[in-house]
Amino acid sequence: MGFLLLLPILFPLAAALALCLRPLRAQRRRRAFTVAALALELGLTALCAALAGGTLPLLPLAEGLCVTFGIDGLGRIFSLLVAFMWLLSGVFTQEYMADREHLGRYHVFLFLTEGALMCLCLAANYLTLYLGFELMTLCSLPLALHTQTGPARRGGYKYLFYSVFGACLGLLGFYTVHTYGRGTAFAPGGVLDPAKVAGHEGFVAAAAFLAVVGFGAKAGLFPLHAWLPAAHPEAPAGASALLSGVITKGGVLCVIRVVYYQFGAAFLRGTWVQYAWLALALVTVLLGSMLAYQEKLFKKRLAYSTVSQAAYILFGLALLQPTAFAGAILHVVVHSAIKDGLFFTAGAVIEKTGQTDVRALRGVGRAMPFTMGCYTVLSLGLIGIPPLGGFASKWLLAEGSLASGIPVFGWLGPAVLLVSALLTAGYLFPITVSAFLPGADLDGTSAPPLEPGPWITLPLAVLTALTVLTGLFPGPLADAAAAIAAALC
Amino acid sequence: MRFLMLFAVLLPLVSGAVLPLFRFRRRQRERYVFAAVCAASLAVLALLLHGPAGTLRLFPLTSTLIVALRLDGAGAVFAGLVAFLWPLASLYAFEYIKHESGDDRFFAFYTMSYGVTLGIAMSDNLLTLYLFYELLTLVTLPLVMHSRDVRSVRAGMKYLCYSIAGAACAFLGLMVLYTLGDPTLRFVYGGFLPADGPRRTLVLVGYLLCFFGFGVKAAVFPFHGWLPAAGVAPTPVTALLHAVAVVKAGVFAVLRVTFYCFGPAVLAGTWAQHTAMGFAVFTIVFGSAMALREPHLKRRLAYSTVSNLSYILFGITLMTPAGLAGALAHMLFHGVMKITLFFCAGAIMYKTQRQYVPELTGLGRYMPVTFAAFAVGGAALAGTPLLPGFLSKWGLAAAAMDAGGTLPLLGVAALLVSAFLTAGYLYAPLVEAFFPPKGAGEHGLAQAHDPGLLMKVPFFVLMAAMLALGVGSRGLLALLARIAAGRW
Repeated sequence: MGFLLLLPILFPLAAALALCLRPLRAQRRRRAFTVAALALELGLTALCAALAGGTLPLLPLAEGLCVTFGIDGLGRIFSLLVAFMWLLSGVFTQEYMADREHLGRYHVFLFLTEGALMCLCLAANYLTLYLGFELMTLCSLPLALHTQTGPARRGGYKYLFYSVFGACLGLLGFYTVHTYGRGTAFAPGGVLDPAKVAGHEGFVAAAAFLAVVGFGAKAGLFPLHAWLPAAHPEAPAGASALLSGVITKGGVLCVIRVVYYQFGAAFLRGTWVQYAWLALALVTVLLGSMLAYQEKLFKKRLAYSTVSQAAYILFGLALLQPTAFAGAILHVVVHSAIKDGLFFTAGAVIEKTGQTDVRALRGVGRAMPFTMGCYTVLSLGLIGIPPLGGFASKWLLAEGSLASGIPVFGWLGPAVLLVSALLTAGYLFPITVSAFLPGADLDGTSAPPLEPGPWITLPLAVLTALTVLTGLFPGPLADAAAAIAAALC
Repeated sequence: MRFLMLFAVLLPLVSGAVLPLFRFRRRQRERYVFAAVCAASLAVLALLLHGPAGTLRLFPLTSTLIVALRLDGAGAVFAGLVAFLWPLASLYAFEYIKHESGDDRFFAFYTMSYGVTLGIAMSDNLLTLYLFYELLTLVTLPLVMHSRDVRSVRAGMKYLCYSIAGAACAFLGLMVLYTLGDPTLRFVYGGFLPADGPRRTLVLVGYLLCFFGFGVKAAVFPFHGWLPAAGVAPTPVTALLHAVAVVKAGVFAVLRVTFYCFGPAVLAGTWAQHTAMGFAVFTIVFGSAMALREPHLKRRLAYSTVSNLSYILFGITLMTPAGLAGALAHMLFHGVMKITLFFCAGAIMYKTQRQYVPELTGLGRYMPVTFAAFAVGGAALAGTPLLPGFLSKWGLAAAAMDAGGTLPLLGVAALLVSAFLTAGYLYAPLVEAFFPPKGAGEHGLAQAHDPGLLMKVPFFVLMAAMLALGVGSRGLLALLARIAAGRW
């Protein structure tokens, strides 16, 4: 059933092409088309995840260089996540951007980016992964640039150059694996050939480190994080949510594939690469939280928060330990849902009140009780208050860290996570407090209701429910992740 | 079939030389030039399909030195490239040159240089190659100076001095080969110098003289200065000659000298190889960095050519078959990609008189075909998979990784740095064109539009060629690998 793998990749491209050929100017028709296409894409992805198997060598480019697709447990989780979040963002966008400019262009690139991400999720070798990574950058760039304001263009340029730089480092990893490995198809445990590596360990390890840093750039890993808070907040909120919530996870997936399926966890365990990676991840966790704490612009604060939270995931992956790996996968899903939701609320609040500064949101809870209620639940989930989403994933991360037996980082990691959780509470919670409890001096009785319509509240409700559900029942997902991890570490 | 080689070389030469005699009107001249160019290209196509055709001796200069033609694998790659691009560039030139004067002169030399380039590709020995190489300088000089203003005359003189001096250096190397090797100077895969012969230092110095001498046309640092200056020529000249024919003639000559005269057996592992490779590696990064800081679009592309020619030289100086295969692939692919980008720059200049990158703001909507071609060419040159640049760079990098050693690995690093810089200098104009600052004045944009059909046809053909080469090059790359291993 190999051909099924092509459906989720090609369908969004076909949808984009259809929109190019026949731009739907009437709002109702575009709405119907977009939502139907995204829902169908989710169905196709589910079909592919359920039925497809094996690998599909599609395009042989040269000797030993073939665009190949395949699906495994990891691919199932990531592709379903992508399709699901895309549908929600698509629905959100229909109301949020109803009267903006260049809507046709926005939707075309929305579909193209989804196709690129599917290519990334279903890649079965390094070449296809790299292809997906490049396409993801190029197709999502127009989303970041969409408003064409000065800050958006500056952010877009940063996004482009950091991503291309990261891709170049990833390409070095490709050349290295191709030279020192048995082919570049993904295999649990890695493909390095000890006979070829012998004598070149230093170079191969350095290439692995650079690949992690390069692909990590997409997930905002220090020192290549600076583009993220510049680019994410400047996009329309629907795209911010996808950039922060989903596309950063594309970088995470690349890191997983390269480390666990190409170089191999065993090759890196206990080397300087692992320690340097752990250090970078922990620095990023703290840095992101602290920058978010001092940031006053709502969306930018959320973007810094993404830097921090994506680094949790990279920290879990750097431990090269099964429990931590499961925690990282769980956090991928949880953070994706929460950050999408938070950006939706930010978008709705900014749209309705016109205020971008968090200090100006006093009393907004009375005007938008449902939106801010969802915001509160999502915030609690991100902080990691049980029984909400973030708790289980962070628990697993900390447990894995302590069980890993890595000197210093083993106990330093949970400590840093704890401090960061406090900071997370510090930058998310005051917004709730001032929204619902503005103080006696603010006359809230006359505030007109600003609650957005169902196209915004529905995706928000779904994400909030997802946060609660993953917190109450993390079992199935954690077990699936643990099963994947068992073969890798 | 042997006489077909002579036909392919002489037809453009002669028809170009006699063109001014006819005093054509515009339409007639276009038909005449296009017919001559296409006939020569068809002859090359027939030669390529037919395969090796033996040697055609034309006339002896001395008892051993004979001017002769022969088409082998490496020559076929070069000849095939120019034969594909020349008709397209001619179509483009027909429309472009309308706004310049002196059409007869232009097309006469333009057609003649085709024959000379084919002569270089089909040279049987180094002397014949040298002859055509000098001739190429002379017939392309009037094209550089075409507009005859101060700047273009100065650029032309610069080009002339660099090229003649380079050829003189190469001639010294040729003397070394003549004395210590084979007095016929006939190209043999693997070279004709004995691997353990006498006067090793002289041999290596001779090689470097050839490398840098011919390297002048390949714009290797520090002899690259003429190429950005020559951008004052009309765009069809810059696109075809300064991105493909002339500069690749330099690269091709270095290839011949390295693999077919001195030979990797003599050179590999010597300080001469390291010197040559070191300069190539430096030029890769240098050219890209200069391109990034150059705001003039055509000069930016010229610096990009400087960088990319050294990709090819890097592959050659690896002195392994895999490296040569990568070099041949990049020679082909870069030709197609860069001519597209130059055509775009020319179309923008032709339609809007804009020459600088910041002036491209907002043009994307008004010239969609031009900028689509620029996007495809730019993404290809930056090394996006499914487009040809990725494949040739992969070939070069894989060859360098296999070769191992400090300098080749440094070369891989240079390729990656340069890829990053390439994205910088090619994507930035696209962002400017398609995502102008909000509220930017659209003054003078309304009358900008895509050029006419004659210029658009090459865009479509080249875009299709890039997409086809990007995904369907497996057979071609295998063929290049065979050629690089000396099996054609």
